[in-house]
Amino acid sequence: MDIRPGEVHALCGENGAGKSTLIKILSGVILPNEGTVQWDETPLPLGRVHSVEAHGILAVHQEPVVFPHLNAMDNLFVGRESAALRGAWLDKSTMRTKAREILANLGEELPLTQPVGDMSLAQRQMVSIGRALLHQCRILILDEPTASLSARESESLFEKVHTLKQQGVGILYVSHRLEEIFRLADRVTVLRDGAWVTTADIASLNQETLIQHMVGRDIPSKQRSDVPSEDSEHRPPVLEIKNLSREGVFENISFGIQPGEILGMSGLVGAGRSEIARAIFGIDPFDAGEIIYLGSPLSKGFTIQDTIQAGMAMVPEDRQQQGLVLPLSVETNLLLPSLSEFQGPLGLKPKPMRATGQSLIEKLGIKTETPAHPAHSLSGGNQQKIVIGKWVHRHPKLFILDEPTRGVDVGAKHEVHRLVRELAAQGSAVLLISSELPEILSLSDRILVLCEGTIRGEIKGNEATQEQLLKLALPEETRRSA
Amino acid sequence: MTDTTTANTTPPLKRALIFLLSHRAAGLFLFILLLLGIVSVVNPAFLEVQNLKDIAVQAAPVCIISCGLMLVLVSGEIDISVGSMMGLLAACMGAMVSESRGHLPPGTAIVLTLGIGVVIGLLNGWLVAYAGVPSIIVTLGMLTALRGVTEIVMGGSWITDLPDGIRFLGTGAFMGVPISLWTALGVILISLWLIHRTAIGRRIYAIGSNPHAAYLAGLPIRPLKLFVFAWTGLLTGVATLVSVPQLSVVDSGIGVGLELLVVTCVVVGGTAVSGGLGNLSGVLCGVILMTMISTVLIFMKLGENATYWSRAIQGLFILGAIIADHWISRQRKS
Repeated sequence: MDIRPGEVHALCGENGAGKSTLIKILSGVILPNEGTVQWDETPLPLGRVHSVEAHGILAVHQEPVVFPHLNAMDNLFVGRESAALRGAWLDKSTMRTKAREILANLGEELPLTQPVGDMSLAQRQMVSIGRALLHQCRILILDEPTASLSARESESLFEKVHTLKQQGVGILYVSHRLEEIFRLADRVTVLRDGAWVTTADIASLNQETLIQHMVGRDIPSKQRSDVPSEDSEHRPPVLEIKNLSREGVFENISFGIQPGEILGMSGLVGAGRSEIARAIFGIDPFDAGEIIYLGSPLSKGFTIQDTIQAGMAMVPEDRQQQGLVLPLSVETNLLLPSLSEFQGPLGLKPKPMRATGQSLIEKLGIKTETPAHPAHSLSGGNQQKIVIGKWVHRHPKLFILDEPTRGVDVGAKHEVHRLVRELAAQGSAVLLISSELPEILSLSDRILVLCEGTIRGEIKGNEATQEQLLKLALPEETRRSA
Repeated sequence: MTDTTTANTTPPLKRALIFLLSHRAAGLFLFILLLLGIVSVVNPAFLEVQNLKDIAVQAAPVCIISCGLMLVLVSGEIDISVGSMMGLLAACMGAMVSESRGHLPPGTAIVLTLGIGVVIGLLNGWLVAYAGVPSIIVTLGMLTALRGVTEIVMGGSWITDLPDGIRFLGTGAFMGVPISLWTALGVILISLWLIHRTAIGRRIYAIGSNPHAAYLAGLPIRPLKLFVFAWTGLLTGVATLVSVPQLSVVDSGIGVGLELLVVTCVVVGGTAVSGGLGNLSGVLCGVILMTMISTVLIFMKLGENATYWSRAIQGLFILGAIIADHWISRQRKS
């Protein structure tokens, strides 16, 4: 493949297709086994970040590369001090001026002396991008830059990409979000299973053909299971929330969920969605309000153990840290919440465990060599299936999903969606939190839109549109100015 | 560090406490002043110049090594071998200059002692950075091994015939101030420059703050770790040279327990055990406070038992500091 100056070249592929590895090679973090990268028709010295950066190839990696204890200025310059060196001394005033200039160029007003660890994810991402711009940048590699940004912040990032492009910078753009690719890219290269599939002009593709290239098979695009049966509206709700408030986080939240219903929660990052879910599940406290579960209110000061005991389940946002025991086997991870079921007089009974584990793996479509493989050996999408799947066996009455497909590739996303629908069909009530509008729209029976800690609106799933959701999700001032 | 529970109910007080704990130098400085106030009321003799000078001379070698160890902790590692390292360096220095043993000129002995310090530091650093052994294990092994080597070098006897050239480093003074204090001042200035004004210094903080990001940014992680251990080795050599010749005898027990004192000073001074965080002014206050404690206990006229308390108090301080760090980071998150 090739990258031309002044173009946005998108790199697509499922998780595990080799995008990140390719980026690591290009940015000099790791060495390829064979092959070369040509730069102005001469081979590029690989394997050293510095020599690659000297050529003007700079990468912004998926996770913001920042040092939380250092301030913004140090974060910009560490490893790139040569830009501000006077003899053996670091010239602080040059550093300060340059840092201001770069951040202003990005349209960011950041306090230079504040530790970056105290900043928001979006601000960290900006610092990360600022690092790349410190050098005379000719090719900028952006790996999933919007993964941690809200819709509005993504918007301002797109503008910056556009500006850079006009300055003649070649941009290699990696994203799972196809809308972004169609908006920004000039050309697309697709990778699958570590091999090059195609490079094409964006104009010659549409979403369906691009997805086909990525997965190598047909994926039915939107298939809404329109089952919001009328009678379900009259059944008693599994969960009823009344005027739930927590100072400064959310206030006066009231809603209910029926069995078999998928309730979507939409809104910008920071609207309070995850915090509400955490309060319901007993992770965070709340100041006022009532949570009525299966007809009876939960007593004050209930804990996670209580809610799990009562049949709630939650898939947290950060699956690796909060949802999986990575070194343990796939089977153990799947059975962890239901261990008491396999308790015999002499400890755990291995045979039924193996049988259940095997059947769960098949049912969930988890791709693993053996059930005994450790969870960290699986791809992100398959890990996510474990996180959801481990609750499936317990037939939860209420299932809270927080960003269930973040960072998951198209194929696995589809299977996660199938799982969610299945759960609902089995009678579980599902509370789905997602920042991806198509996901919310295709799964939910009803959608709540939150903004700045309050419920802005409720829309029926089959009547909602992306524009409608986004409009409700934006805070007042922005809407007025827009 | 002590009244966190009462502070929880009163926000302004709590805010002040958070400020003092997170600006560790300021907090410790106030604490030191308070301690000085109390002890000088009980026993005004504490403030006599000679006593303060004695405390400063005690603090100097601890301060010198702390400057190095702080960087080890900031880089995300730890070195608990400095006590035994000082023991071995003292034995080597003594054996080299002693008329009955090596009989080398003092200048050569000084260079060789510093050189051995650097080599031991490099060995620590190599095992950690290149062989991939956790630093706590490496330096724990070194703590025992180096003490053993010291006993071999000493051969079961003491060295009592240190020549004047070496004794001068311990007993001499310039403008009325002992050599060791001048040396400590020099080391502090160099450390300040290293930390704030060089690329190496900022990079050491970066690798401790987020190792993965440092890897992706292409920072030379392994050479930097090698450097902090070698630097600590060199500073341990410097501390040995200015402190051991204060006495005329070198035995195989020099520096026993020093590693814990130094770690305590650095951690009480607000350096994060998890890396990435720490500043020199806090560490200096930590050094002053911890070296004051035993003398303060004596002057408080608490009787003979009081001095036995100094170790226990040292332990309480390190626990208190770590608990305070955790508390602070929790407060910051919420």
